[in-house]
Amino acid sequence: MRYLPILCVVVIWQVLSFSGVIPGNRLPSPVNIILGFTELLTQGLPPGYALAGHCIASLKRVLSGLAIAIVTALPLGIAMGYWTRARNYLTPFVEIIRPIPPLAWVPIAILWFGIGDRSSSFIIFLGAFFPILLNTIGGVLSINRRLIESSIILGAKKRALFTKVLLPGAMPSIITGVRIALGIGWMTLVAAEFTGVKSGYGLGYMIMTARDIQRPDQIIAGMVVIGMIGYAMDFGIRQMEHKILKWR
Amino acid sequence: MKKVAVVASLVMVLLGALISMAASRDVRLGYLRNDLHHLAAWVAMDKGFFREEGVNVEIAGIFNAGPEEMTAFASRSLDMGYLGVAPSATGLANRSARIRAVALANAEGSSVVVRKDSAIKEVRDLAGKTVAIPGYSSVQDFLLRKALEAAGADPKKVNIIAIKPPEMIVALNAKQIDAFIAWEPHPSKAVTMGIGRVLISSPMIWKDHPCCVVAVDDSFYKENPQVVKSFLKAHIRATAYIKKNPEDALRIGMKYTGMDEATVREAISHIQYHYFAKEDDIKEYVRYLLKFGYVKSMNVDEFAREYLDLKAIKEVVQ
Repeated sequence: MRYLPILCVVVIWQVLSFSGVIPGNRLPSPVNIILGFTELLTQGLPPGYALAGHCIASLKRVLSGLAIAIVTALPLGIAMGYWTRARNYLTPFVEIIRPIPPLAWVPIAILWFGIGDRSSSFIIFLGAFFPILLNTIGGVLSINRRLIESSIILGAKKRALFTKVLLPGAMPSIITGVRIALGIGWMTLVAAEFTGVKSGYGLGYMIMTARDIQRPDQIIAGMVVIGMIGYAMDFGIRQMEHKILKWR
Repeated sequence: MKKVAVVASLVMVLLGALISMAASRDVRLGYLRNDLHHLAAWVAMDKGFFREEGVNVEIAGIFNAGPEEMTAFASRSLDMGYLGVAPSATGLANRSARIRAVALANAEGSSVVVRKDSAIKEVRDLAGKTVAIPGYSSVQDFLLRKALEAAGADPKKVNIIAIKPPEMIVALNAKQIDAFIAWEPHPSKAVTMGIGRVLISSPMIWKDHPCCVVAVDDSFYKENPQVVKSFLKAHIRATAYIKKNPEDALRIGMKYTGMDEATVREAISHIQYHYFAKEDDIKEYVRYLLKFGYVKSMNVDEFAREYLDLKAIKEVVQ
């Protein structure tokens, strides 16, 4: 029942396309998009490059960029959340670099890392780093001060404090940050791949090829694939969130 | 009083219609950035040939590659344009834009470039390497595959990727790619910059192959056949001018690409400027598009007739 409105829109769209009201070369009909999608599966785009290969290549890039972002932002975020001085000194850097859109870094990334996986992972890292950092800081700051003070009084060393009090306490906020980071990273990746990828595999690259051979039906089919994968990843994180936060 | 007003307005409307019919119709023209294949367009603009033939040309777009220009045709932003046979034929075949090719702009003028110190000595050595093309279904895509097959190498064993020509030289220098194929002046630029050397050029791959055409939006052509003819007159004059006045053509090429004299001189020497296209050559392109799966199946002869319309230019030349 929830999907009825979407279904109605698709049906109306198909009727308008079929009757010629919507020109087929500007906006393909839903049927043509589905046919284009099957071609992506059977033939591949460019011909011979399977859709699965594109998906895996893009996922690898986004997950590696995300992993680096988590590994760097988490400790830094906890430190900045706990120590006021660190927060004060480092925040200006964050506030200046954060507003620069990851896509603006693409020319520099290519200059530094070339057209391989490293430059796209770098772009993802830039997009994913800041949401995780800020949410970690916020998460630490939101922990009840008494909890921290009691732990110190009870003899907790720094390491135990960080891993047994601060990290779990900030976890809900951190997970939200990771969810946001993944979303941003996924969106940025596709555009970053537009400039070209060395392996010849990538969903953004695939869409660029569809543009090259002028198949708007496959452009949109590719966009739908990207949207669905993004949705599936977000769903996965929300499931993990339930498990990790069971102690709440 | 009312009668006078009515008659006066009718006269105004008629005059307005007459004036707009007599005035030249703007042609929204597109061409590729830094593509010396389109020198005739620049010469016609620079020397005033379009103006002399009564055509008002408005530059509606300068594009990085053929497919982008085709998208502009599809969105009805261009009336006429200079671009490659391959992307324009692909666009028409995939029904993304209704265009006709009414003249050739140039033949040949592309090369495969490798690093100066590279171990690659023949086309066969490209197997297992990474080679960049300006885009799928481009003239250069075709030329590369043709060259590989002629040398007995399997195109599937070569890592062919698409990156835009301005980035090719940088990528070659940084060893991100092992070779690239592009239109002039990019190969010549790689040579004059001391970064690359030419492995193989157009004439060795397919002698006299058509490269870029003058394309016109089908509806525009039907509504303004005279304008198209006048445009072609200017195009023919410009093409002849390039042959007769190489130094001035060189100056215009430098002006529109912003590149140095050595590069532009070297580049122009590899390009053939003709204005007649041959139907057989077009069919060769279409067969290749079918073979590599860029277009769905179709009748090659019928399509070639739909794509190439030399009626206007034949009338002009008479």
